[in-house]
Amino acid sequence: MISQLTWELFGQGALMQPYVAVLALLGLVTAVIAAVYALSFAFAPPGTIGSGPFLSGRPPQEHAVSRYHVRWYVVTMVFLAFDMEMVFMYPWALVVASVGTKAVVEMFAFLGLLLAGVVYAWREGAFRWA
Amino acid sequence: MSETTPAWTVVALPLVLAGLAYSAAAMDAGLRSGGGIAAPLREGVRLIVQQRRRMHAADMLLVRAGVLSLPVAAVLAAAVIPLGRTAVWDLRVGVVWFNAMEVVAWASLWLAGWGVNSAFPLVGGYRLVAQGLAYELPHMFALITAALGAGSLDFGEVAAAQHGLWFAVWMPVAFAVYLLSALAMAFWGPMGHPLADDLAGGAAAELSGPDRLVFFAGRSALLTVAAAAAVPLFLGGASGPWLPGWAWSLVKTYAVLALLVWVRGRFPVLRMDRFMAAAWLVLIPAALLQALVVGIVVLT
Amino acid sequence: MGVRTRLLRFAAGRPPVFVAAAPGGTRTRLLVESELRRRNGRTAASPAAASVLVVCGRPGAALAEAVDAVWDAMPGPRALVRLDEAASRAEVDAGIDRAVRELSDVAAQQADAAERRERGPWSPSGMDGHTAQSGGHADHSGHEHHTGLAMAGRADDRDGLKLDVLHVPLGPVLKDWPAGLVLGLTLQGDVVQAVEVDVAEGAAGGVPYWDEPWLRAAAGERVTVGEAERRRAAGHLDSAGRLLAVAGWEGAAEEARLLRDLALAGEAPAELPARFARFARRVKGSRTLRWMLGGIGRIDQGFAGRHGLTGPPARHPGDVLARLHGWLDGTGEALVRTGDPAPLRGTDGPRGPVGAMPSRAVLALLPELLGGAELAAARLTVASLDPDVEQLTETAWTAHE
Repeated sequence: MISQLTWELFGQGALMQPYVAVLALLGLVTAVIAAVYALSFAFAPPGTIGSGPFLSGRPPQEHAVSRYHVRWYVVTMVFLAFDMEMVFMYPWALVVASVGTKAVVEMFAFLGLLLAGVVYAWREGAFRWA
Repeated sequence: MSETTPAWTVVALPLVLAGLAYSAAAMDAGLRSGGGIAAPLREGVRLIVQQRRRMHAADMLLVRAGVLSLPVAAVLAAAVIPLGRTAVWDLRVGVVWFNAMEVVAWASLWLAGWGVNSAFPLVGGYRLVAQGLAYELPHMFALITAALGAGSLDFGEVAAAQHGLWFAVWMPVAFAVYLLSALAMAFWGPMGHPLADDLAGGAAAELSGPDRLVFFAGRSALLTVAAAAAVPLFLGGASGPWLPGWAWSLVKTYAVLALLVWVRGRFPVLRMDRFMAAAWLVLIPAALLQALVVGIVVLT
Repeated sequence: MGVRTRLLRFAAGRPPVFVAAAPGGTRTRLLVESELRRRNGRTAASPAAASVLVVCGRPGAALAEAVDAVWDAMPGPRALVRLDEAASRAEVDAGIDRAVRELSDVAAQQADAAERRERGPWSPSGMDGHTAQSGGHADHSGHEHHTGLAMAGRADDRDGLKLDVLHVPLGPVLKDWPAGLVLGLTLQGDVVQAVEVDVAEGAAGGVPYWDEPWLRAAAGERVTVGEAERRRAAGHLDSAGRLLAVAGWEGAAEEARLLRDLALAGEAPAELPARFARFARRVKGSRTLRWMLGGIGRIDQGFAGRHGLTGPPARHPGDVLARLHGWLDGTGEALVRTGDPAPLRGTDGPRGPVGAMPSRAVLALLPELLGGAELAAARLTVASLDPDVEQLTETAWTAHE
């Protein structure tokens, strides 16, 4: 009986809609993570340790969350330019064969322009810090 | 291209992922300090019976979100990678999905590093974002190069396009770049600066108990997924003589995984203040040249 | 035996150990590290990652406070091992065994947890008398006001931007860090703006371990050149191992520590120089290491002279990489002479002339050297100079006067 049930649920024949399968997968991961926390709750010494930040044994003088100097912000800008470009490149990869030479020339001319930007950013010292 | 998914994959995928991630952890323990096949199990039990910590004035919602999203992202990325010739989710744009899920790890680390309200994890999170800016573009160009060679963003079709000649052979630069970025997306080994010991463990410094377990299991799973994706992208997928397809998928994944684990002990960590310029001025042009070559080959 | 006991016992098999060393406890630290290697043990980098805290040597008041803070931050099950500067190998062994037993003792761990629950969570005001600034601080992120800790204040950074300032101490209790050294960093982002040097002393005093052969010889004892050179080689390897660990190359760091222990072992085995040569070739040949260490923490002749720097860092002016190569070359030369039975003369110890406290000059130049450096580079720079706080204690100074 059980083996037949198993076969019907998980055998070669049983099929699912992909989204059901992905949701089932998510459910499984959630269950495992919940089990980890439940086991820990059951077996770890009771209580959560309220602790200060580790600063080599010294007490903190202020909260660590702070306005941080994002020294690579120029890189972020250059990155965004390329990242937007990637959005075009994914569909482009599918049509190169059908569109032909024109697709390759146009894309790499565009990339060449972006690379010129990278060289400029490099000369301006955008990739150096500290 | 099937419209539906065999139900067994939903069970098989987590089992295979867990098995490979476990063996990666065991291999790492063996290479570094010994401890044998039981070492990750022992560590897992140690963390389960360990108390959790709540940091002073921490934003626990962010920390929790960061920690939990790591394994979830790894599993969702794995959903589109075929085992044999079957994936849980046979997505036409699987490569893009994989890419998107793997970037979730940036958020995971930054949230976990920022949320605990501690200076060392904060700097660790900061390092991860810088690392992302350095590795992500070469990584995406490597993915696109493989997709370009196959004319498809579907992992299954990319693998099928390599009958006879693996992409790793005629796109060596893209493959090398992919391997490097695989280290970076799991912040592993030479790309492990965000979790480095010079910051007392970086973004993960304040995690204990089940939080730490989920975080590091998620990282191990990410590394495994990164290795697994290399198989359909560059190593001919499930094709191979004698053995069934799923076995070839496993063997190839395991080989890449072993390489990634081994690399950890062989190199010092890469600092992004040095690596950033190299990534933009060497890796990106090299990956683009590779894409150009592949594009020309596709045309002819 | 209950499930809980079984689980705890299984988990206690290979606990991660956080090693806190006090000045004066170097010998004990070396014993602990070699014992941990023998047990396939692991070290932890933060209290959250550790199950066992091992204190090597006797900390003075400031250091003891830091050790207590680390102990308080460790989640249970936890165990504490205190080993003084005279601990024998057997005592180290027994201490770690006891820690493992304690970790699997359900009753003791439950009692510890109950006691901590009673005491309540950590609070900033209870720690160091730091007064709660609940009135004046701006509340940016909606945290409760009664947290007793101020938000970070602002100051001009080196680029003229007004940015938040964090005060982050490096040391005294930090992995791969000179025992007893405390650098109070003022950070903006991860850039070091200012450095205050402080020292957390040990309670024991005594003769600095790495300078011991030279000091004994100066006091009239008969010490052979071979013994001193073994100590020099081990000292350099200890420093190099620390630097390699900070550089994130754990594999090479572990090999350096293993070679260090071999060099210290009574009779250095015959294959030691060959094995060291292989190690040195690998480290020097690493392009990645050259790429990462080159150009940071640069000390030129003039700078060294201004601060009275002596010893290896003065003999090998340049960057962190140059100093690492200096240690490796020095180790190679020392290992050739480990069999020399001639009586030791001279005072040139592993860190410079032993009477002149060469590490004092290192501490003096750190603020200028680290200003404007990135946190990672600052750690590498400190590791590449590896000052020895043991040299600076009053007792060490008077011991050989």
